Amino acid sequence: MNDVVLGIETSCDETAAALVRGGTEVMSSVVSTQIDLHARFGGVVPEVASRAHVELLTPVIAQTIIEAGIDDSAIDVVAATVGPGLIGSLLVGVSAAKALALVWDKPFVAVNHLEAHLYAAFLEDPNLELPLLVILVSGGHTMLIEMRDHGEYRLLGSTIDDAAGEAFDKVARYLGLGYPGGPAIDAIAEQGDPTAINFPRGMVHDGLDFSFSGLKTSVINYVRKNPDASNADVAASFQQAVVDVLLIKARRAAKSIGARGMCLAGGVAANSQLRLQFLDACTEDGVHGFLPSRLMCTDNAAMVAAAGWYVFNQYGPSGLETGAYPNMKPRWLAE
Amino acid sequence: MLILGIDTASPQVGVAIGGHEGVLASFHSARGRQHAETVTPAIEFVCRQARVELREISCVAVDVGPGLFTGMRVGIATAKAIASALRVPMIGASSLDLLAMPVRHTSRRIVSVLDAKRGEVFTAHYVSAPGGIQRIGEYRCETADELVVELMAEHENYLLVGDGALRYRDVLSAVENVEIAEQSLSMPSASALVQLAHSHALREQWVNTWELQPLYLRQPDAEINWQERQ
Ligand SMILES: [Zn+2]
Repeated sequence: MNDVVLGIETSCDETAAALVRGGTEVMSSVVSTQIDLHARFGGVVPEVASRAHVELLTPVIAQTIIEAGIDDSAIDVVAATVGPGLIGSLLVGVSAAKALALVWDKPFVAVNHLEAHLYAAFLEDPNLELPLLVILVSGGHTMLIEMRDHGEYRLLGSTIDDAAGEAFDKVARYLGLGYPGGPAIDAIAEQGDPTAINFPRGMVHDGLDFSFSGLKTSVINYVRKNPDASNADVAASFQQAVVDVLLIKARRAAKSIGARGMCLAGGVAANSQLRLQFLDACTEDGVHGFLPSRLMCTDNAAMVAAAGWYVFNQYGPSGLETGAYPNMKPRWLAE
Repeated sequence: MLILGIDTASPQVGVAIGGHEGVLASFHSARGRQHAETVTPAIEFVCRQARVELREISCVAVDVGPGLFTGMRVGIATAKAIASALRVPMIGASSLDLLAMPVRHTSRRIVSVLDAKRGEVFTAHYVSAPGGIQRIGEYRCETADELVVELMAEHENYLLVGDGALRYRDVLSAVENVEIAEQSLSMPSASALVQLAHSHALREQWVNTWELQPLYLRQPDAEINWQERQ
């Protein structure tokens, strides 16, 4: 149970490797971000990302092992993200992970990137209370997930159009705030008034699904009609609309399953206002609120290693004929 | 000395192992593009057939392209991981070099011509040299018409090899004294890679894992578009 897992993550634009012992103890975690490489294109360019991964991955893995201060022979399992994500990027990590497993004669474990995000929370708080309501918000996903036990999940709601992070990127680009959009809006919104403009809260009264494309359109329409509006007010009001919808639905979902804990995951979980208001909501509702550190919210390999540990103990190793699966569904949707 | 050779830069997957005694075992699959799914089990298979343990490998050779971007990265990522775990050096060989290797016993000028899609070919020129081949000039990405002009400018006897030569056979045959190698020689092979790497290894012409670079010969589309806008 004290297995040391090497985790490898290359699904998008972060090249990452980490060593985690027993599913919870992070021995080392190295993330090499490619943000600068993609900034001038205004978004992640798959071919540029793949080229960077193949160059960066071997040094990142070597660095991880050095930082943990262990010998290769102390590694018991090699885990890698196999999907969902960019096919060319995923293939670099999967290929390297399988090769290492083969050389070291250790098991290889295929990890789903979305499940890995759930395990980011357990890395920092192994005593999280179940059932848990997870709010997974990133550039590619917006999901409310019920976690009853390890490996026992249920999808309660998701976006019917844009992901929350995608809305941040698109609005930031429209406002000329640069890339990536999340941190840019977060920063400028601090100087703005979140109540200045009453943007629509999409689908707020029906069910647990989300819609962000209407919000994005109304931001663009508003700026067109009011060219003198302050970027800070627009950004703050837009951000507040996203946070409101996310938290209203998450609280509704948590109540419906009798959740004892609520947890944020994914890149958008690094947003300052979402973090603050999330904790307030948890206190108000009397549930244990858990907020992973910003480093654990964005893509990293420690969460992959942690998920790999659980997957290995529950389902055993994956075959060396495993490939990459860009549209891979998480286990909770596969059933 | 034992060399593991990995070639996934074309639609095929090839793995071979060998050394002073030549190629000991090899694997070859031409059934479509499942590079990542195929290459790791293929390495395991080839080692078993050669009765060699991976840790006995003293050098990892890999086809660094040009070719299919995604395919070549699977091979390079795999090769780098193995070399770094075993702490052994690497030898990178171009897919164009690998095409020339099996036809080296000729007095003609060898021209490797790989189909680069989008109306272009990847090319390089070679002459036979003791123990292998010697490249003349640069690796290029050009149109078949540009290649014709290039060939006509020098009045050599040519042997063209590769799937690009076959695809543009009609255009290229217009050049005098051109012979085109048959279909069975039109793709790089892992056995040629091991042979070529062996001659490099004898001269200690190898690199460290972090020094090995892919040979793309073409920029990402986004990069080309971005530069055009500047
Ligand atoms: Zn992610």
